[in-house]
Amino acid sequence: MNRAELIAELERILGPRGVVTNPDALLTYDADGCVMDTHEPHVVTLPTSAEQVAAIVRLAARAGMPIVPRGAGTGLAGGATPMQGGIVISTARMDKILQVDTANGRVLCQPGVINWELSQYLKSFGYQFAPDPSSQKACTIGGNIANNSGGPHCLKYGITASHVLAVQVVLPDGSIIWTGDGSAYAAGYDLTGVITGSEGTIGFVTAAWLRLTRLPEAVRVVLALFPDIAGASTTVSQVIATGLLPAALEIMDRLAIKAVNDMYKLGLPEAAGAALLIEVDGVEDGLDELLNDITAICWRNGAIDVRPARTLAEQNQVWAARKNAFGAMGRLAPTYYLVDTVVPRTKLPQTMDEVGRISREFRLPIANVFHAGDGNLHPIILFDRRDRSQNQRALEAATSVMKVSIDFGGVISGEHGIGVEKQDYMTLLFSTDDLAAMAGLHQSFDPHDLFNPGKVFPKGRGCGELAALRRSGVAWSALKSS
Amino acid sequence: MNNALLRADLESLVGEQYVREHPTGYYIYGQQPLLSVAPGSLEEMAQTVARLAAEHVAIVPWGGGTQQRWGRPPSRPFAVLLTGRLNRILDYTPDDLTISVEAGMTLGALSAALAANGQMLPLDAPLPDRATIGGLLATAMDGPRRLGYGSARDLLIGIRVVEATGRISKAGGMVVKNVSGFDMMKLYLGSFGTLAIIASANFKLIPQPRSAASILCRAATPEPLWKLVNAIASSQLTPVAVEYLEGIDLADTPFALAVRSEGLAAAVERHVRDVTTFATQVGVQAEPLRDEAHIRLWEAINDIPQTASVAADELVVRVTCLPAALSSVLAAARTAAQHATVSLQAVARAINGIAYLRVRGSVSQLHEWHTAVLQAAPQTMVLAAPTSLVDEVPAFGTQIANLEVMQRIKQEFDPENLLNPGRFVV
Repeated sequence: MNRAELIAELERILGPRGVVTNPDALLTYDADGCVMDTHEPHVVTLPTSAEQVAAIVRLAARAGMPIVPRGAGTGLAGGATPMQGGIVISTARMDKILQVDTANGRVLCQPGVINWELSQYLKSFGYQFAPDPSSQKACTIGGNIANNSGGPHCLKYGITASHVLAVQVVLPDGSIIWTGDGSAYAAGYDLTGVITGSEGTIGFVTAAWLRLTRLPEAVRVVLALFPDIAGASTTVSQVIATGLLPAALEIMDRLAIKAVNDMYKLGLPEAAGAALLIEVDGVEDGLDELLNDITAICWRNGAIDVRPARTLAEQNQVWAARKNAFGAMGRLAPTYYLVDTVVPRTKLPQTMDEVGRISREFRLPIANVFHAGDGNLHPIILFDRRDRSQNQRALEAATSVMKVSIDFGGVISGEHGIGVEKQDYMTLLFSTDDLAAMAGLHQSFDPHDLFNPGKVFPKGRGCGELAALRRSGVAWSALKSS
Repeated sequence: MNNALLRADLESLVGEQYVREHPTGYYIYGQQPLLSVAPGSLEEMAQTVARLAAEHVAIVPWGGGTQQRWGRPPSRPFAVLLTGRLNRILDYTPDDLTISVEAGMTLGALSAALAANGQMLPLDAPLPDRATIGGLLATAMDGPRRLGYGSARDLLIGIRVVEATGRISKAGGMVVKNVSGFDMMKLYLGSFGTLAIIASANFKLIPQPRSAASILCRAATPEPLWKLVNAIASSQLTPVAVEYLEGIDLADTPFALAVRSEGLAAAVERHVRDVTTFATQVGVQAEPLRDEAHIRLWEAINDIPQTASVAADELVVRVTCLPAALSSVLAAARTAAQHATVSLQAVARAINGIAYLRVRGSVSQLHEWHTAVLQAAPQTMVLAAPTSLVDEVPAFGTQIANLEVMQRIKQEFDPENLLNPGRFVV
């Protein structure tokens, strides 16, 4: 099938408005938020239904072309970058909230719905969708599901996987399935669970039943200021260890404070080395007691100020600063590389020391804005992409952060995913057998590597090869002698 | 198969005293295993599996044996792989609120170790002193407090398994947030050991609450209790468990609702106050329970779905449905019990849409009741049944979607169907 035939077929399925072929327009799909690797697609499609997605998938199989799913393109690991070209399937026109079912604690929506808009919509019912990535004003539900995204409130409410009840998926063979209806324990394997977080490599989510979370009766937010990041990290460790469970515990360091101060008029003293954002929620009763205990830990660890955000407006302002901190980085450097790793929570203070050391070693400033309560680091390496030396040092600094995190018993991604960015670091964390098991799961869905190929698994270790390895089995006698 | 050679090899792997031919303690629906093997380490477990796989011997993983009646009986002769010797804590830094444990550790032993540090893993499974972590994960068994803290699906953060070939693989880690690679935990959880045998598991832990109390609400009919459930569910209260009880002795009443609150003292008292008010509004009597009475109530409730000691004429099932349908499903089960003249006991996670039902009667009575329940709730799973009934009923209900996809997964992970053959959906 030549390009003209392919496009004609796609236009027959989607109508001319559903197919993007203009070379200039295709260029805008050559990357997501991760701009280290770029590659433009052959064609971009904008379906409006699962049936259309299935038709595109079947056509792609016939044409021998990969398909690459794309939501808002806010991902930071290259998950939506068409590394081998192919057909991008954008969820931009699948953006409807279809049904709010409060009696059953669920909401049905299409993958292109924006996370923030869903939560705003649910507010009037007294509910929310709890996962709230920092990019929530742009990122889509489909992308959240594909990456099992996090966000500040995961600390209390859990990651996206805990909030996806069932999904409608187009599989690589072009079939459309529902993994359940939102009730517990659908018979058989947990297909909802394995599809969530699989980065678009085994299925294309075309609708989802999501869990509704009741809005809390009361919320308190305070901002604690510390002379350095060590005091703030130690406070977080101790709050967790003491068994107090805030809704969110977020740290911004000196550089980040400087960046957001101008933008959000927080008036934070720039002498402060770290700001710790603490939110508690629940029923009104007992909330002050909880907050008092947490602020006592702040004072014990050398806090220089503890500022309650008394009004809703003040709370929103503090949160806006936190969630838009990455955007504010533009004030500090032309480019930044946001690294996402996780360490056990007691290792946070030591890990932050190491991040400081890495900054000095590679002679690049590193700002930190992160989900401290979960041990989820986000060192932001500031550099100028036009300078090749800085470019190289930024990459090396990011690698060092990953290695340090693993050395402290952590992992290479907490919420951004592996995509292209970290695929070659998977071997730092997983053995060949570990990867082969994941490849086995992948093969059972996508034996021809049609969906988002060249992602997650290390380059040069194709899923087929890994899966074949595990199928070969092990001889017991060989084990015996090892 | 050369039995003598196989046995000798296994004995050299795990030690003579840990291999038994035709052992007596491990019958499943009347079937006696060919042999039992009790490896003492992860490596021994892997080698045992590889050795049995080389002889194409089917393997049934066996933890505490409390849930071996779930699903269907094995479809061919099998060996049991006992995980009881794998009962150690592998990694526990209390201040991280995470733990890694071997699969053969009981939930009770784990809870005791955690309690010493003011922490808990609130899975609330029946018979915690016998039920093992591996078995609870293989069945994805839940407990009342899944409402407040989530189930194993939410708390499991890492896993290590032995695959059908004897390969050892892991996924996840020792951190509470992790998207490094596929979430294999979800694949193995609830897969009945049909894809791989769980060797160890890592969990996110929960701090023990500073305060706790229950409100036990009794009624002569179920209707007001479901009104109470709705009032609680649509409020901004955050109870950690809301359990509906029917035909259960412990409440001295045919119908009851037990509400559990945990947290700061003021928040718990608020729950006691508000739930009592809601109860009064629907004409239901509410009694607060604290301390020992509170603890005993929940130990009893947690044990109700147990399937370790089941009467010869008893059927135990789990029904799941959308939460709003639960009261009518239970009404259908009640009506069916009256028709079939069997006694019904029920415990239900009232806000989650999950119920565990027990009935006793002749095989024909049980069959009649089960058929009626399936009509009301196609997602009904058999947890224990008389041997003569178990082959006649659809053990996993009549609503099994995506079988072909599941068969492809099974084929990939266990092409020779060695792991728990015949017992699961695929």
